[in-house]
Amino acid sequence: MKIHCSTEHLAERLATAARATSTRASIQVAAGVRITATSSEEPGELAATDLELSLRVPIEFEVEQPGSAVVPARLAQEVVRSLRSDRVTLEADPAGGRVQITAGTGVYGIHTHPVDDFPKLPEIDPERVFEVDRAAFTATVERVIRATSKDESRPVLTGALLQIEPGRLTMAATDSYRLAVKETVLTDEVPEPIEAIIPARALAEVTRLATGSGPISVSADRNQIAFGVDGVWLTARRIEGQFPNFRSLRPEGFEHEVRLPRGELADVVRRVGVFARHNAPLRLGFSNGEVSISAQTPDVGEARETIPAPFGGEPFEIGFNVDFLRDGIDTASGDEIVFQLISPLRPAVVTGTEDDFWYLIMPIRLST
Amino acid sequence: MGRVVAHLDLDAFFAAVEVLEHPDLAGLPVVVGGSPDGRGVVATASYEARAFGIHSAMSAAEARRRCPTARFVRPDHGLYSRHSRRVWTLVEASVPLAEQVGIDEGYLDLTGAVATAGDADRYLRALQQRILAETGLSASFGCGTSKVVAKIASDREKPRGVTVVAAGREATFLAPLRLRVLPGIGPKTDERFQAAGLATIGDLAALDDAALARLVAGAVGPELRDRARGIDPRPVTLPGRAQSVSVEETFERDIATAGEVREIVLRMADDVAERLARDARGAQAVTVKLRYPDFAIATRSQSAAAPFSGPEEIARLALLAVDRALAARRPPVRLVGVGVARLVDAEQLRLPLP
Repeated sequence: MKIHCSTEHLAERLATAARATSTRASIQVAAGVRITATSSEEPGELAATDLELSLRVPIEFEVEQPGSAVVPARLAQEVVRSLRSDRVTLEADPAGGRVQITAGTGVYGIHTHPVDDFPKLPEIDPERVFEVDRAAFTATVERVIRATSKDESRPVLTGALLQIEPGRLTMAATDSYRLAVKETVLTDEVPEPIEAIIPARALAEVTRLATGSGPISVSADRNQIAFGVDGVWLTARRIEGQFPNFRSLRPEGFEHEVRLPRGELADVVRRVGVFARHNAPLRLGFSNGEVSISAQTPDVGEARETIPAPFGGEPFEIGFNVDFLRDGIDTASGDEIVFQLISPLRPAVVTGTEDDFWYLIMPIRLST
Repeated sequence: MGRVVAHLDLDAFFAAVEVLEHPDLAGLPVVVGGSPDGRGVVATASYEARAFGIHSAMSAAEARRRCPTARFVRPDHGLYSRHSRRVWTLVEASVPLAEQVGIDEGYLDLTGAVATAGDADRYLRALQQRILAETGLSASFGCGTSKVVAKIASDREKPRGVTVVAAGREATFLAPLRLRVLPGIGPKTDERFQAAGLATIGDLAALDDAALARLVAGAVGPELRDRARGIDPRPVTLPGRAQSVSVEETFERDIATAGEVREIVLRMADDVAERLARDARGAQAVTVKLRYPDFAIATRSQSAAAPFSGPEEIARLALLAVDRALAARRPPVRLVGVGVARLVDAEQLRLPLP
């Protein structure tokens, strides 16, 4: 393999592909990026996979000699992005084991991983590909992704449930302390409905790729789901298992419904929340015409602020984890948020006023 | 063996951390402390530096005179705290009761966990090995029936020593040692005792009440003499409120199968949940401990993102932890323990997910 490429283009494409590499995976080649050069007529490809996630990234280069090589991602990136000349040449040693990078007077020899060790990447069946609106997709991901769980012992919760059906895109995520659900109107044609649990990391990578415009391609089979963004294909292993029946978790009725100005509430929660450290709860005390927001951490300090609220009825106090509450307030939309409450030990629901999003949050039991 | 108290002392701790962080310092005389160009003093010297006669509290300038090639490092206390935390997290998960008294030392109460001096020796060597394997730091242990004996014993065979003083041997162990090693005897008191003809701890232990009262006024005298005799009733206590709740049991016969171990873990998870509920607190991690017939100890912890207290959650996390331990080494096991740690006053409720 011998190719000539724009240094800037190569650096940018390498950085994209490297997102799917891992130095922690069980196989060494997972830390590498495979460069494939077929001919100058076809675009080349960079590919990387850590076995959970894989990326195929098209790249423009001039092919002097077709072939392929697997370069260690981090080292190749470090070299290429620090080069000062505009063009760079990559040449694989015919005997294998090395790639030589030449730029200006600089010559860099990199030890490579065996191409044969590189895992077979999932194929995408062009027949099954359909398109969804990019903005609708990324906006939906952003509303729920923070509620995914980091606890690997419950794999189902480490992903978000994705439902694509005619007219509607739904995503739901829960770490069992809160649950975020976003429904978005979809005008794209959906050939067959999809319901899949997608690893949070894959969704985050898709939104990272999807900064431009134009639709996102989607293709799913039993084990994999693939997203195509501007020619880049990201494939992720679907998480097996049954996602909780999230609609049934939303209480059917509430005792209180309180509308609060979103910006002001967010500010107060941020300020007072400074004093809710080490898992100390943020307390919301509802009483006639106001809500007081307070927090106290032993040996740190305490804070309290009050904002007017259209609340009537028996006063009560409910505690929340400040980060969970803040995520809900931040991801709801509109100038106002609506708190739906039952009692101090029952779930509360936060919604915005502008679109179809709800965020259920479990309280913290208050000791006094 | 009645009460069993061990003292843990990390070897040349600051210097050891510096070597861990900067492997190029390994094997060199390393001096952590102030600048040798100013009026700095030595905080810790590596054993290589101690070979040149360098010790704590010596002026850094003097240290450089004794060893011009020594590598001088300014202390980074944040770094040492992080390493100390790692050691103590491991120790707290491994022993029934631990009381950290300084960044590099503390007491462990092993009562019930070991039966004989030989047991204690094996137990502490295994713990020493785990600390080394998991944190890269070397520790010395002393063990006896009281804090004072344990503390003095831990200093006998540094570095990486384990000194166990059997019950009944306390006074014999202490008698030949210089008075100055007895906690509570500073340079002034030492001078006064020396002047009165006392050279060893044994000399102090042998004083009668009248002679003692002439040397030291008040209640301090009898207390010092008690310590010289190896008598020290101070208990090992948790600093502040309980940081963990745990139950453990040593079985008469070895538990032979993983299934039985898991059943015991489930039962213990219930006990722990009950004790936690009594305290109205939540926990953030569950630890499971197994001890094998050769005294090797395995502990595994499982954390949750938010505090919990219910028996189901404790059982779920405990099973995850015990399965990891059993995957590393199969039964038979001699001891099973389940505990919760990182306690907080609030309990985060969860959605009823399947």
